[in-house]
Amino acid sequence: MNNVPNSTVTTRKRLLILIISITFLFCVLFGRLGYLQLVARKDLQSRAAEQWYRDLPLAAPRGKILDSTGSVLADNREVYSVYVRPNAVTDKQAVAAALSGHLNLVYDKLLEKISSSRVSEITIKRAVEKNVAEAILAQNLDGVYFTLDSKRYYPASNYLSQILGFTNIDNVGQNGLEGYYDEYLKGVDGFAYTATDIKGHELENNVTKYVPAIPGCDLTLSLDMNIQSFAETAVSNALSEHNAKGASMIVMDCNTGGVVAMASAPGFDLNEPPRDDLNMLNALSKNKMIVDVYEPGSTFKIFTTATALENGAVSDSDRFFCGGARQVDGQRIKCWRSIGHGSQDLGEGVKNSCNCVFMDLALRLGTDKLYDGIRNFGFGSKTNVDFYGESRGLLMQQSAVKTVDLARIGFGQAVAVTPLQLVTAVSAAVNGGTLYEPYFVSQVNDYSGKLIYERQPKEVRKAISPSTSEKLRNMLEKVVSEGGGHKAGVAGYRIGGKTGTAQKYENGHIAQGKYVSSFVGFAPVENPRYVLAMIVDEPGGYMYYGSLVAAPYAGEVFKKIFDYTGLKPSQTDTVVEWVNMPDVLGLSPEEASKRLSERGLLFESDGEGSSVASCVPVPGTRIPKGDVVLIRTE
Amino acid sequence: MSNNKKVLLHEGKGEYDFVLTSVTVLLVLFGVVMVYAASSYNAQVNYGNKYFYMFKQLVGAVLGFVAMIAMSFIDYHVLGKLRFVILGISVLLLVLVFIPGIGVESYGARRWINLPFFTMQASEIAKFGFIIFSAAYMAKHHKKMTTFKGILPVLGVGSLICLLIILEPNMSITICVVLLMFAMLFIGGARIKHFLILALPAVAMVPLLIIAEPYRLKRMLAFIDPWASPLGEGYQLIQSFYSLGSGGLFGLGLFNSRQKYLFLPFSESDFIFSIIGEELGLIGCAIVMFAFVLIIARAIRIAQNSTDRFGCYLASGIACIIAIQVLVNIAVVTGSIPPTGLPLPFVSAGSSSLIVFCSGIGILQSVSRRSHKTVKLTVRQRRKKRERLPTKP
Repeated sequence: MNNVPNSTVTTRKRLLILIISITFLFCVLFGRLGYLQLVARKDLQSRAAEQWYRDLPLAAPRGKILDSTGSVLADNREVYSVYVRPNAVTDKQAVAAALSGHLNLVYDKLLEKISSSRVSEITIKRAVEKNVAEAILAQNLDGVYFTLDSKRYYPASNYLSQILGFTNIDNVGQNGLEGYYDEYLKGVDGFAYTATDIKGHELENNVTKYVPAIPGCDLTLSLDMNIQSFAETAVSNALSEHNAKGASMIVMDCNTGGVVAMASAPGFDLNEPPRDDLNMLNALSKNKMIVDVYEPGSTFKIFTTATALENGAVSDSDRFFCGGARQVDGQRIKCWRSIGHGSQDLGEGVKNSCNCVFMDLALRLGTDKLYDGIRNFGFGSKTNVDFYGESRGLLMQQSAVKTVDLARIGFGQAVAVTPLQLVTAVSAAVNGGTLYEPYFVSQVNDYSGKLIYERQPKEVRKAISPSTSEKLRNMLEKVVSEGGGHKAGVAGYRIGGKTGTAQKYENGHIAQGKYVSSFVGFAPVENPRYVLAMIVDEPGGYMYYGSLVAAPYAGEVFKKIFDYTGLKPSQTDTVVEWVNMPDVLGLSPEEASKRLSERGLLFESDGEGSSVASCVPVPGTRIPKGDVVLIRTE
Repeated sequence: MSNNKKVLLHEGKGEYDFVLTSVTVLLVLFGVVMVYAASSYNAQVNYGNKYFYMFKQLVGAVLGFVAMIAMSFIDYHVLGKLRFVILGISVLLLVLVFIPGIGVESYGARRWINLPFFTMQASEIAKFGFIIFSAAYMAKHHKKMTTFKGILPVLGVGSLICLLIILEPNMSITICVVLLMFAMLFIGGARIKHFLILALPAVAMVPLLIIAEPYRLKRMLAFIDPWASPLGEGYQLIQSFYSLGSGGLFGLGLFNSRQKYLFLPFSESDFIFSIIGEELGLIGCAIVMFAFVLIIARAIRIAQNSTDRFGCYLASGIACIIAIQVLVNIAVVTGSIPPTGLPLPFVSAGSSSLIVFCSGIGILQSVSRRSHKTVKLTVRQRRKKRERLPTKP
């Protein structure tokens, strides 16, 4: 039976097995199908939709940037993008010739591009001006197409070039505020969804779906375009008049931390950034006032004084003697005036900017207290301003500070700060002692005008007490009214300030003849509102003193601000006494000093010679009493 | 002795299996509509006539129906007698494919024979040639089927056909013929242990075939993770998934496929089931699959009811080739096995496949008619005999 199976029975059995197996396999495949069509459906469908539709972006208009008065600083302008669809071109030579002529492109390259028609559409040039596009359009060329595009436009062209920053061809913020606030400014692009076949041809029954773009938000800055223009004028004048490497000015509202003006020369036209020269572009667009540090020199004495007063390390009756230098740890550190300042109280020390006084103060305080003091003013840490690339400045490691270093820090050497840190700290020193976080953007509104962010002044900490602040204000006022900051003065107004002249270091060594001249001031003294810093980098020639180079521009800008804001003078009937510049040529420095003092003039001197070789201004010039003059000895 | 049983089983049934014919005709006409749905855009773009593929399929359908009717009238025993002739023609056609001028090369393979009106795929004929030959052999030598020696002629002919097809190359049809060969032997009563012995060289062939054509390994990998190469080897499968996934339960509606816009290659032929899934959803797929199961079941039933072994083996062979091709096609489309190009019987665009499968249905009808006729005739003849015989008083 087993050897000879009943074939009919076997066949029937096997046919049954066959139909059962086949049905089973059908069920398995149906299960697989059910998984794909029901479970994996959503995922597959959304992936499929990606290939079914071509999404043409509808660029969102970028938000505007406005100053505090509502003037537009950055806007959008209509431009055109020029495309060529090679298949639609009838006369390739004519198209290449017309486009190369109007768009300033190389004819041969263009012709080759158009001739190698592997792509359906070639972008020839973007951001083409309207009149150029219209000129091409007028030639009625087949296969040339235009789309409306937008380009960033900066009405004040070369103002604020390092602050506003610029965008790339795709309108993406690259640096400055355009970069920092790109997320707010850029908006949300819309899309036009077109159903196409695999090659991108629109389907017959296509209904293009539009998802509208959401325009970007508008930024309102704390900047005031009028004050900005004063600052811009000052820095460009300083650059040319002193043949300097650079000049910068910051004006801050000391009661909020808002930046009112920030200008730096040389700058560039934001509408035409020098994109061809990347190194130059990087150098020009860098905001040195926030990113770079410099040795502050005498302006830093404000904080030594403030810390000493706050710690009770000095009293009004204390007197300091300056013989032209101090011995610290066996090392002789000179005062800037080699003949010395004699006996002075603290106020006179500040007015004279006598290094010996601040060395004494620093040594009295010791490293810990001085460091605590200057750190309270924000040195050594970022200000958290709304700007990329901020530097925290350089403070020596506290444990590594030797007595010699401590003395130097006292008068502003062996430290490095950013100009913004300095202005922020001076604001705290004179506003009653509150350190505010500096900022540019005061509010953000969405495209409908709805306010979505408003900046409130952000108090970082109390750096010093109000009484210390008041004492400082009075001492610093004397610097302008009677001391080296005289040129920053404006008749009738109470202005305080401090000059600074620091030698530059290159590769760790003093760079001969390279200085940073600065002035930092505030006004009005009785109720400070504006803090201003003017920094001239590497002024040319013998004129390098902050009192002579930087202070005058500060004075000019202060005057313009007072006129612009309509600030009433503190003293209405100020009488200016005038004197003639005495002839000091050929005299010994001591004799010249005596002559100038007799006339009530202050002086800065250059050189270590035994007789006066030249002076500024020339003898006989009518100048106000108390003014600062320059003598050069040989 | 079994005649009595058959008489009982078939009493009151028609000679012709109308269910089988109706389902086949409906499926073929549905195929014509789906070929149009899947190919209209492609045809418009490439031939400037959106009915291009549909017309060809319609012609194929008409020819198929003619062939179906013709085959149903021919006594299938004639096919058995002509088994060597049919086999010879099949092999000859497979050889002709390689002769330049007669064979047409397309997609890197020689699979078609150029005829004045259309191109014919030689392997389509060969599948049925093999079924007829092996059914006839097994019917004649059914007692030898339990021996290994007895199954050797079937194996030999099958291997020869496989060899010629793999040389085209056409992996998918080769696999189908291999599966068909095993199915025929299984029905023919071959022993299970012989299958195991045969399975070993078949498995051993796999690495050899991969070495011969490295693209096969890539396809294997693409099957395991199609998303690894969405624009390369995995593309076709992913596009098929997109079609099926977009269809969901009810589909996007007839003619509303999005994938037909050139996204899914071979949408009118090997991947037409994806388009069915996209336009008619899981429900449409279920109906189509049910139609196939119905056809297969009717064919097996005809095999069971056949009066002779040859008819039984012939009908089950046809059932098997339909089942194998449908299962492999749907498995490929759903990414259940490595992708391979195989048309869906009756539905995919392709005249030769359509005509050959319709002929297969005609053969089934021939078997069906003749088994019925024989039974009924027997009954009638018996009655007549009784009537003619003088009744004993």
